[in-house]
Amino acid sequence: MSVATSAASARGIVASTPARVLKVAVLLGLLILVPPFLDSPYLTTVFISALMFGLFGAIYDLMIGYAGLTNFGYAGFIAAGAYGSALASFHYGISPWLGLLIGGTCGALMGLFTGLITLRLRGLYLGLTTWFVAEAVRFTIANTPEYTRGVLGLAVDPFPSVLGIDFGRAKLLNYYYLLIVLGALIMLAMHFLVRSKVGLAFRAIREDQLATESLGLNATKYKLINFTVACFLTGVLGSFYAHYLGILSPTPEEFGVPRTVEILTVCYVGGRGTLWGSLFAGFLLVGFQEYFRELEAWRLVMYGALLIAVMLFAPKGLAGLKKYVW
Amino acid sequence: MDLSLLADPAILSELVFQGLVRGAMYALMGIGLSLIFGILGVVNFAHGEFFMLGTYAMYFVSALLGLPFLAGVAAAAIGLFVVGVVVERALIEPLRQRAGRDWLLDSFVLTIGLMVILQNLALLGFGSRRRGITTMVEGSVVFGNVTITYERLAILALAVIIVGLLAAYIKFTDTGKAIRATAQDPEAAQTLGIDIKRIYTVAFGIGAALAGAAGALLISIFPAFPTVGYQPVLKSFAVVILGGLGNIPGAIAGGFLLGIVEAYAIFFMSAGWQSVITPLIIILVLVFRPQGLFTAQGERP
Repeated sequence: MSVATSAASARGIVASTPARVLKVAVLLGLLILVPPFLDSPYLTTVFISALMFGLFGAIYDLMIGYAGLTNFGYAGFIAAGAYGSALASFHYGISPWLGLLIGGTCGALMGLFTGLITLRLRGLYLGLTTWFVAEAVRFTIANTPEYTRGVLGLAVDPFPSVLGIDFGRAKLLNYYYLLIVLGALIMLAMHFLVRSKVGLAFRAIREDQLATESLGLNATKYKLINFTVACFLTGVLGSFYAHYLGILSPTPEEFGVPRTVEILTVCYVGGRGTLWGSLFAGFLLVGFQEYFRELEAWRLVMYGALLIAVMLFAPKGLAGLKKYVW
Repeated sequence: MDLSLLADPAILSELVFQGLVRGAMYALMGIGLSLIFGILGVVNFAHGEFFMLGTYAMYFVSALLGLPFLAGVAAAAIGLFVVGVVVERALIEPLRQRAGRDWLLDSFVLTIGLMVILQNLALLGFGSRRRGITTMVEGSVVFGNVTITYERLAILALAVIIVGLLAAYIKFTDTGKAIRATAQDPEAAQTLGIDIKRIYTVAFGIGAALAGAAGALLISIFPAFPTVGYQPVLKSFAVVILGGLGNIPGAIAGGFLLGIVEAYAIFFMSAGWQSVITPLIIILVLVFRPQGLFTAQGERP
C-alpha cells in the first residue's frame, strides 16, 4: 500500500467514526423513545420480540458470518440458557439477575462441549451435531417432568426489583429497556471482538482455513473461541427470555427447528458478516409477521420464499441495500 | 427392566424384525440423502418434506381413489421424481450458477427455505388432520411364537426390491454409469462428454423419489400430516452419519443398524426417551468414528 492511499484510508476512518457514532445514537434514540411514545402494551411486546430476534440473529451472524460456523441447533442453546436460569431460580431460589450469568454459562458449556467434539471436522458436521445435541437436550427436558415440568410448562419468576425499578410482569417497558441495555452490551462486545486480532483470525479462517493454518494459526482454537462466546451470549439472552416470558415449555416452536429457522432467516435477510444487519432484519421480519398475522401459514410460506430469494438474488441481504439508504 | 428379556428368542426375533422394517425406511431415506449429497454436494434438509409428500400421494391414491397399494407407491415415487426435477432445475441450478466456496452451506440454507415452504403449503392445502391407512395388506403369518403381519413383510420386500432396482440402474445403465462418474470427478466426467447438469437433475429426482417411496410404504406407521417428515429426516441424517456421508452401501447398513437399535430402545425404555437415544448414538459416532462406521479409509472428514 502506498503512503498516499494509507493516508486516504486513515482520513476515511477519522471522518467516518463520528458519522457512525451519530447514526448509532440516532437509531438508539429512536429505539428508546418510540415505544413509550406509542404507549401500547401490544406494540411494546412487538418491539421486545423484534429486538430479541435481531440480537439472536446478530449472535448467529457472529458464528456463521464471521467464522463460517453453522449452528443448526441454535434454539437448543437458547433453551440451555433459559432453562439453566429458570431451574436455578425455581429449585434453588437463585436470583434471576445472577441467572443471566448462569444461563450464559450453561450456553457456553453446551457450546464448548459441542465445539470440542465437532470443530476439528468439516463445517457440515458442526451443523448436524449441534442439531442432534439440541434435540437431545430438548427431549431430555421433555422427559424429566419431575425436575423441569416437561411439556406441562415451567413457571419462571420475573426479575426482582433493582435500584427501585420494578420488573413485575406488567412492566413491559422496563423489560424493554433492560433488553436494550443487555443488547447494547452484547453488540458492543461482539463489535470489539470482531475488530480485535481474534476477529481477524475468524475472518481469515472463513476466507481460507488451509491458508490460515499454514500461517501458523490454530484454526480449531479460534473457532472454539468464537462458538463458545456466541453460545455464552445466546445463553444470557435465553435467560432474559425465560424471565420475561414467565413460562417455558420444550416445544419445537419454542426451542426446536422452527425457532432456529426463524433466527437463521433473520441473520440471512439482514446480511451475513455485518452484525448490525440482523437488528434491522429482526424489526422487518417480526413487524411483517405481526402485520400479516391473519395470513397464518402463508406468512411462513413467505418466510421460506424470502430465505430462498435472499440465497438466489441478494446474498448480502439488507446490508446490500445500505449504500442506497444512508 | 428385566434383563433376561434381552435374550428371549421370541422377543429378540420380534424386535429384529420390527427393526428391519424401520431400517428399510431409514435406508431408503438415507440412500436418497446420500445420493444427493454425493452427486450434488447438497445437504438436503427438505428430504423429510419429500417423505411427507409421499405419504399424501399414498393416501390420495390408495385411500381416496381406492387403487391398490403398489399403485400408491408408484405414484409417490413418480410424483416425487417430478418434484425433485422441478426443484433442482428451478432452485438449485440457479444457485449453483452463482455460488462459490460457500456452496455447501448456501445450498443447505436453500433447502431449509424449501422445507418451510413445502410444510406450510401442505398445511394450507391439506390441513393439519392426520390421514392414515391402518392396514394396507391383510393377514399375518406365525413363526413359532412370533407373529409377522403380511403388511410388514410387504414393506420390507418392496424396500429391498426398490434398493435392488436402484443398484442395478446405477450399475448397468448408461445414465447410472454417468452418475457414478460424476460422483467420482465431475470435471473429468464433463470432459468425457457427460452432461453433468442432466446428471445433477436426475440424481436429485431419484433421491426425492426414494424419500417419496419411503413415505408411501410407511403410511401405516406415519400417517400423512404436514410435519410428519421431521422424525424421518432426523433419522435419515443419523443413518447417513452412521454410514459415512455420501456412502450409499454405508447408508443401507446404517439404516438397518439404526432400525434394530431403535426397536430395542423402544421396547426397553419409556417412549419419550427414544428421541434422546438416537441423537446420543450419533454424537458418540461423531466423537469416536466421524468418518462413519462403514467407511474403510482412516482419514477424518
